[in-house]
Amino acid sequence: MIRLTIDGQEITVPEGTMIVDAAAKLGVDVPIYCYHQALGPLGACRMCLVEVEKMPKLATACTTAVSEGMVVRSKGPAVDKGRRGVLEFLLINHPLDCPVCDKGGECYLQDYTFEYGPGGGRFQEPKIQKVKDGPINEFVLVDQERCVLCQRCVRFMGEYVGEGQLLLEGRGVETVVTTVDQVPATSQFTGNVIDLCPVGALLSAPYHHKGRPWNIEREESVCPHCPVGCTSKVTAREGHVIRMEGRPIPDREWGWLCDRGRFGYDFGYHPERLLASRVQGNETSAALATRQVGEWLKTTVEQHGGSSVGVIVGGMHTTEEAYQLKRFATEVIGTEKLAISRSEAGYLPRALNGTFEDIKKADTVLLLGTDPYDAVPVVHLKLRERLLRYPALKVIGIGPTALTRDTLPGQDVITAPEQSAVVMALAMATQRPDDAQVKTLIHDLGSFRPQGVLPEMLTQLGAQLLRADHLVCLWDGLEPAMGMVLAVLADLREKPTPMLPTFGPGNWRGWERGGFSAHFEDLTRILEEARDGVIKTLLVFGADLLEEYPDRSLVQAAFERLDHVVVEGLRPPVDSTQVDALLPGAGWAEVYGTYINMEARLQVAMASVQPPGQARPVKTYLNTWAHILGRPLNWEEDWDPFDDDSGDLLPIETRHVEIEPLTTPPTTDAGMTLVIGSLIWEKGEPSEILLPRVPEFPGRINPQEAEELGLGTEPGRISVSQGDTHLVVGVSLDSRIPVGVLWIPQGVLGVNRLGKGPVQLSLAKEEVTA
Amino acid sequence: MFDGVKAMTKGLGVTFKALFEPRDTISYPEKRREYSPRFRGKHMLAKDADGHELCVGCGLCEAVCPAHAIRVVAAAAPEGKPVSWTNRYSVDYEVDLIRCIFCGMCEEACPTNAVRLTPFNELAASNRLDMIADKEELLHPPVKK
Repeated sequence: MIRLTIDGQEITVPEGTMIVDAAAKLGVDVPIYCYHQALGPLGACRMCLVEVEKMPKLATACTTAVSEGMVVRSKGPAVDKGRRGVLEFLLINHPLDCPVCDKGGECYLQDYTFEYGPGGGRFQEPKIQKVKDGPINEFVLVDQERCVLCQRCVRFMGEYVGEGQLLLEGRGVETVVTTVDQVPATSQFTGNVIDLCPVGALLSAPYHHKGRPWNIEREESVCPHCPVGCTSKVTAREGHVIRMEGRPIPDREWGWLCDRGRFGYDFGYHPERLLASRVQGNETSAALATRQVGEWLKTTVEQHGGSSVGVIVGGMHTTEEAYQLKRFATEVIGTEKLAISRSEAGYLPRALNGTFEDIKKADTVLLLGTDPYDAVPVVHLKLRERLLRYPALKVIGIGPTALTRDTLPGQDVITAPEQSAVVMALAMATQRPDDAQVKTLIHDLGSFRPQGVLPEMLTQLGAQLLRADHLVCLWDGLEPAMGMVLAVLADLREKPTPMLPTFGPGNWRGWERGGFSAHFEDLTRILEEARDGVIKTLLVFGADLLEEYPDRSLVQAAFERLDHVVVEGLRPPVDSTQVDALLPGAGWAEVYGTYINMEARLQVAMASVQPPGQARPVKTYLNTWAHILGRPLNWEEDWDPFDDDSGDLLPIETRHVEIEPLTTPPTTDAGMTLVIGSLIWEKGEPSEILLPRVPEFPGRINPQEAEELGLGTEPGRISVSQGDTHLVVGVSLDSRIPVGVLWIPQGVLGVNRLGKGPVQLSLAKEEVTA
Repeated sequence: MFDGVKAMTKGLGVTFKALFEPRDTISYPEKRREYSPRFRGKHMLAKDADGHELCVGCGLCEAVCPAHAIRVVAAAAPEGKPVSWTNRYSVDYEVDLIRCIFCGMCEEACPTNAVRLTPFNELAASNRLDMIADKEELLHPPVKK
């Protein structure tokens, strides 16, 4: 630890701390443009000049590390003169067009010029003209005249994200920030440069000219699209959400968002948004529709009993809403048939759940079927940061496709589809063949050898799994048996083995906290009972089962058999012909609530705007129905999902995982196998802003396979057949997909008409494409 | 009685004296008073010599307004149709003349000298909504400045 004095106050900080961070701890504000804690020191902007005793000249506080007995002065005539000079230089070619600049009012160049800058410039010559409002991509605009060349954006994209799509071009006063070869940036993380830019050079295109800091309201929120639950701020103006920003949390989050989350906020204003209630396809008033559904519920409960009603929650509902639904279901209707709309069959017990803190300590990361860049992008950034801090980080991908990538290099164990759990179990067996649980796991496997995985690879993998000091597992939840394997792995290892479930929906942990079952089997059971006529009325809150449930035919059959299907949500489901009542719901940013993310962390999202049209919160519907059923609910006791002892993390429950022998996977012949993956762009509510970036060819196929199909080297449309089902899907070529595998993300319209397993491919005919 | 006559004469004396003095009132609306050049009446939005709107919708008037009487919605200026002299203009500009206290800070804050308070002060309406001046109204002021 090092002691130093800043502005007369003494402070002790760890060695290697920069003066600017030490000053921040004391609450001394040192102006900065280029320095960012996540990116490290650079010293490009020269704004942070301070006076250090015994140094002949002013020193930059962001590149000068503290030393014992240092005396720093952040104020005084010398410092003021230095900063005034720097600002005069920075403003020489600045257009001073604050009135038309979106950053006006929240701009560090404005703030520091007011505080430290000169009253006017002495430079008489005409200012250099550069590109104004040029595109970085669909979402980010660049105004090169306003840039102070701090390089935060360039370093973020190049060093932090690892996708160097921005660069500084030119020399001296002609230097500009631009994209490589003037090609629009395609990274998932480009939006972060808007937050990083200290001046008005990089601006959000959807927010362009939309608001000013004094006519907007900012509320703290949580991104609802995926289970990462990034902390964010929602900007609303006149009852409209117009922007999403990252919300850094000291010592925990940098406030990064992916483009899907940052720009996908407009789903509430989508033309498909349900604004009026519909009963049997006809628009009606909210009161009539709610009463009609209440009558149906009453008749069902009277005629068939409470357990003939099923409740399924999904979408973007909050933990509190799930709890209200649970109370309504148990206390008013008297049913225990509650389930969460899930797309993946796996379940991870809370006891195994780790946090993002574990990624910061990890020495080995195991990607089980999940590619974080595609499924949970901000986790990819967290892994990138760990890799930058700890270059020896081992990344191991286990799944039917390659899961590591250039920005997160590692070793891939490519298994046949549906065989990852078996491979993991066999790998553990190479190290601990005598362990009782491992023995149970591999009991039925006999002499089964996984395809394409050599015995040496299994031994090596097993050794890595057991030897790692801090092993973080990210699991896509597609193979339910993996849950058992992970429980055994955690038992085998004495060292920490945190797991992070990357499967959705975003708030499944929250609904579980609210009292719903997150087990996929319970969802399937409800749908089967509906198909078999045991359940007569199904209340679906927020979920689009036809799109989300992996087996569409079961949902279709259930909907056809049910007496009443009631769907509440932001937009109608993909096919609402079987839906008896459609009720518009209030969603994210319209209701206050708690979201629980993949770390099992509780985070509060505030309401920013009023729900549009007839959309209303869940509680409003439940109250009406409770009155009709004659059992009004008493909401006086306020329920809080937070636990007194565990704070913002869910309490850790000890949960026994039953270990059963793994079944031997069927040996697939050399045909084509469909693998359902996870892609953030295909998930959640549709957004108009995102349309240009939603991939046109979401499927992926090996280039060799494409060649054989006759696709050539360009992405194209293919027809996928399985039995009598045919589906046309756009595929792009990706060498990370092995031969014999067709990868399609969950959520691509109609993919759940097909089941996992063998499929036949052919080139799509032209008329289908058109 | 003598005292009474004296008092009445004195009183009427003042009246008759005033009859021949110059008047303080004018016969409005036929005649109108001339105001000081600093007088602050109803707002207007100015245009430049080429007919382009000066307002860029920066919202500074909105920020500075102590009565929260101004609402500005900006947008990118439509291409092809030269509305604004730059790439941004105000789509909506509303002044709530009931709320306005005519302090003139909007005029002072305006970086493009688009908002001006004209000498026009005949503000009356039979309806609250009519007292909210929209952009069209502000662009065509009865008295210019």
